[in-house]
Amino acid sequence: MNKFLNIGKSVKKIDALSLASGIEKFVDDFPLDNPLYLAILYSPHAHANIVNIDTTEAESIDGVVDILHYGNVQRILHTTAGQGFPEPSPYDTALFNRKMRFVGDRVAAVAAESSKAAREAARKIAVEYEILEPLFDIEKAMDDDAPRIHGDDAHVVIPVPYEPERNLAAEVEIGFGDMQRGFAEADFIEEHTYTTQYASHCAIEPHAAISYFDERGRLVIVTTTQVPFHARRITAQVLDIPVGMIRVIKPRIGGGFGGKQEVFLEPLVAIVSWRNKRPAKIALTRSEVFVASRTRNAMRIRLKTGAKKDGTITAIEMDALMNTGAYGSHALTVLSNAGSKVLPLFNKVENISFIGRSVYTNLPIGGAYRGYGATKGYFAFNQQLDTIARRKNQDILEYIKSWHIKEGETSPIFAALGEGKEGVAQIIRSCKLSECIDKGAEAIDWYSKRGKRIRIDSEDKVKGIGIAVSMQGSGIPRIDMGSASMKMNEDGSFNLHIGATDLGTGSDTILAQIAAEVLQIPVEKMIVRSSDTDLTPFDVGAYASSTTYVSGNAVRKCAEKIGAQIISVAGKMLDTNVENLILTDCKVVETLSKREISFAQICQYALYSADQFQIQAGASYYGTESPPPFAAQFAEVDVDTRTGKVDVIKFVSAVDCGQPIHPKLAEGQVEGAVVNGISYALCEEYLFDSKGRMTNDSFWDYKIYNALDIPELVTILADSHEETGPFGAKSVGEIAINGPMPAIANAIYDAVGVRLFNAPFTPEKVFNAIKNKR
Amino acid sequence: MNGLQWFFPEKLDVVPELLKRDGIVPHAGGTFLIKTGMKKVKGLIDLANLPLDIFHDSNGFIEIGSTSTFSGIVEKMSSNNADSILVKSLGQAASTPLRNRITIGGSIASFPIWSDAMGPLIALDAEVSLIGAVEGFFSIVRYVTERELRKETLIKSVRFKSEKWDSYYFRATRTQFDYPAFNITVLCKRLDNVIKDIRIVIVGNRKKFVRITGLEEKLMNVKTDDADIPVIVRDIDIEFAAKKLGSADYIKQLAGIELERGINRILRSK
Amino acid sequence: MKAIFRINGQEKELSFDSRATLLTVLRENGCTEVKEGCNAGECGACLVLLDGKPVNSCQIFAASIGSKEITTINGIGDIHSPHPIQEAFVDTGAVQCGFCTPGMILAAYSLLEENPEPTDDEIKRALDGNICRCTGYVKIIDAIRLASKRMRENE
Repeated sequence: MNKFLNIGKSVKKIDALSLASGIEKFVDDFPLDNPLYLAILYSPHAHANIVNIDTTEAESIDGVVDILHYGNVQRILHTTAGQGFPEPSPYDTALFNRKMRFVGDRVAAVAAESSKAAREAARKIAVEYEILEPLFDIEKAMDDDAPRIHGDDAHVVIPVPYEPERNLAAEVEIGFGDMQRGFAEADFIEEHTYTTQYASHCAIEPHAAISYFDERGRLVIVTTTQVPFHARRITAQVLDIPVGMIRVIKPRIGGGFGGKQEVFLEPLVAIVSWRNKRPAKIALTRSEVFVASRTRNAMRIRLKTGAKKDGTITAIEMDALMNTGAYGSHALTVLSNAGSKVLPLFNKVENISFIGRSVYTNLPIGGAYRGYGATKGYFAFNQQLDTIARRKNQDILEYIKSWHIKEGETSPIFAALGEGKEGVAQIIRSCKLSECIDKGAEAIDWYSKRGKRIRIDSEDKVKGIGIAVSMQGSGIPRIDMGSASMKMNEDGSFNLHIGATDLGTGSDTILAQIAAEVLQIPVEKMIVRSSDTDLTPFDVGAYASSTTYVSGNAVRKCAEKIGAQIISVAGKMLDTNVENLILTDCKVVETLSKREISFAQICQYALYSADQFQIQAGASYYGTESPPPFAAQFAEVDVDTRTGKVDVIKFVSAVDCGQPIHPKLAEGQVEGAVVNGISYALCEEYLFDSKGRMTNDSFWDYKIYNALDIPELVTILADSHEETGPFGAKSVGEIAINGPMPAIANAIYDAVGVRLFNAPFTPEKVFNAIKNKR
Repeated sequence: MNGLQWFFPEKLDVVPELLKRDGIVPHAGGTFLIKTGMKKVKGLIDLANLPLDIFHDSNGFIEIGSTSTFSGIVEKMSSNNADSILVKSLGQAASTPLRNRITIGGSIASFPIWSDAMGPLIALDAEVSLIGAVEGFFSIVRYVTERELRKETLIKSVRFKSEKWDSYYFRATRTQFDYPAFNITVLCKRLDNVIKDIRIVIVGNRKKFVRITGLEEKLMNVKTDDADIPVIVRDIDIEFAAKKLGSADYIKQLAGIELERGINRILRSK
Repeated sequence: MKAIFRINGQEKELSFDSRATLLTVLRENGCTEVKEGCNAGECGACLVLLDGKPVNSCQIFAASIGSKEITTINGIGDIHSPHPIQEAFVDTGAVQCGFCTPGMILAAYSLLEENPEPTDDEIKRALDGNICRCTGYVKIIDAIRLASKRMRENE
């Protein structure tokens, strides 16, 4: 039974109709007056020094205005990672480097009167390279004789391990208890090595950025960003101009998934504008998005678990090696996340060790990607759980239900492992994982399929079923901050200004719902403007599943202040004590006498009548904890035993995201993440030739699912309430991507008794695994 | 790149002369030219205004004009020939918006290795009608193997005998919207459970395509209930290159398995 | 080159490069509702209707359009009077980032014109040229089913 006016209701998404009618502008849709078009020249070599750049022929192309490269742009080392300052990622790149570190690294940029001229000129730039030996293998990256990718001036700005001379971009090590004793106590030990692959976010809108000067000579950047405030700061840093000279605006953007939590195009258009005093624009081609934007880090995880006969896990040892690619953005934080979001789930294990390293290679740059390190960690962890449960012939559902972290409990990992700094201790206040397991198992008809190896299609296909569980977080505690400001209008409507970044996720809508709920008004009365660094207050941006919880709490606090002001004015108007007044239905009502005045009347009074003031407020929020959402996800697969083809028939996600603010949007987050996770498990991968060049940089050969590919999807939102969240909400943006890969791997094992340790599970891999088993 | 010259002929008789010009090629509306790049192309002959969008089903032949789109063909054949192999293959090729543009003539003329049109047309013993440097009807196999037939010529139409076949079509893809690593066409006629005519074509192997006459011979006059398909198929030796779908060895094995399944399916069908 | 283009019922004479695609010509002449996602005919963001049939505008030479009627999302409804399909997309939660949405809606429009009561499989087949990374397609299929129902009820 829903006691809320707006919360838990699937209200009309405030931009749904405008998007469905094509009237909303995305970055590349904005008209610009006489812009310069940019084209980028990319390195054809995985590892090379630029000996000489000759732009004479390029400059002679009609329409070319400016050509930028390391020789004529100030070298300011920074990180492109859109993170809070000071960033936990190394400062290892300038806007243009002299050393090329992957096929696709940025050699130069041309600004011209047309994009045709820019591209033609880029092709005519003559570059002399000194080719260096490339490094592609993460296991060899730290060898003494490995090629060194970064030089002495690369550095970190917070005190974390960083050894570029060993190609070590990040290192984390935490431990509790006594590992030796833990393994000695075990009756059986499982040790397996899991690997996950490079992947691309595939947001349908490619990255784009435009910049121009406003009437006062300030630089305005309109960009496809998840992090407008970080973009402003980093652009100011790279151009060496004050932050106050820059305004960053995020309009509608066409998806992000972490790929747009990176600041690498904004400084480029900005510097072109700055140098030439003209607008500038760039939109990446799809190939450039694949190769030269950011990717999901490939990772190798060695997981060793000790367990007793009764199922008690005596020790967990996780050794993670992450490929951060040519530059280290998110190198420390994705790595840490593989441990920090996975190990607390089984919090009763006494002996835990996590060692993680991120190494540089001469391959495309890894960055933030939905699920972050947790997705890779859970691939390993969930298969290990399946193995342990099978050893003991135990029902894995009951096993997980008995061992997972519960409400009121904690884990030492929370305090030990943060994102760059130490973490923050916390107690789990809401956890409905067991209920999720039960509901999900019922929805997929677990017991009639598990272990049955039902044969279909004249014996060639076998059915299998698998489970994966996970938790994520809701913002980075004590680091992520969001703010909101509101003002009231004389008709009882409100302007809500939020820094929070809507990538299509609907955060504008759900934040409006939260504000409207506090004030007990319909959502339509909330006029939302977001993600404009001049007009909206600060917000870290959309990542780490922070928007609903962190930005949502900021909105709630702000709306509460507004509510208090409204009541105070009403109190004056009615000459009564504020304790007697309540907000309801766009009015203030005195509980005993039933006298009422409308919001409109109140605002008009405040603006015009006496003691005039603008009813307005601002508030900020940062989390002192990061209450995790939980998910139990189930895959039903049919494995073709002769060809290795795996078809996902049904996928069930039961998710505890706290109180869903907008059920359809919450389901949408789950459904989108699940379909992404399934193709990530089965067919998405980067293929490289021997020289480190990506050979499948288009949708022709990098396959993602369309409507014909999807299985039957069932999404269940658990009945849950997080007391620290706005109206009980936690988050839901990332978690559902963690389940598909391990659930499908576990389902494949259930069907054919082979375990896939290396993703993606292409038909040939499954085929070979089945063959080798025989 | 310099400007492209465009020609919009309305009569077929002006086309041969245009074809003789250096760098001038026909364009029916499909995606091949845009996809593969146009470095050597100086001009395009837009075929849209020519009377090439015909469809005849008469005198025992089906004749399809070369500018007919895949979706147009599927639509036209769905009334009387819904079971046709061409409906099965063209109906799954590429995607809906692409099927609305890819033409049968363009597809034959460019014959990409992932073609969904060629296997069925080869199996149907189709013929193409040419104008230009060479005129007349030619078997489609001759057209794709003899260069002279493709130089400065335009396909007017393609035709094949209108017969009732049991048919099977398989595409080896990674996801549903994908270009096949290979495809298999099987056409079969049976009388009293005995195979009277069988045609098997694979497209996508190292030699680009193969009509497996050896296998056809083995299956001729075989009683469908008796046929030991796995044994019959086992000796077929077709080589494939490694592709994104898998290694050469895997694809070869996959092709063998799917070929066996296809023949099985078609023989066991009503 | 110059030619007259019939876009959403209006005729416009436009200049364009002889090699330009329809997508480029549309976007450079005010039709930014048609999106570029891949420029390779693989994502469907650029989908428009040509004489009522869905096509990838990035794969068509502008020069070869002739007198064919081009319909973009603007041609079937707007925020003041939306088409039932647009409304259904809103009501089922089928719009997240919205970048694929115009293409999806046009594909759906063309389907429902031809087949007013499609099965789920027929809906998915009609969408086979449109990719979406946000929604997982579930609510998009819901929307088309809902639009089909509403449109039949209103006949």
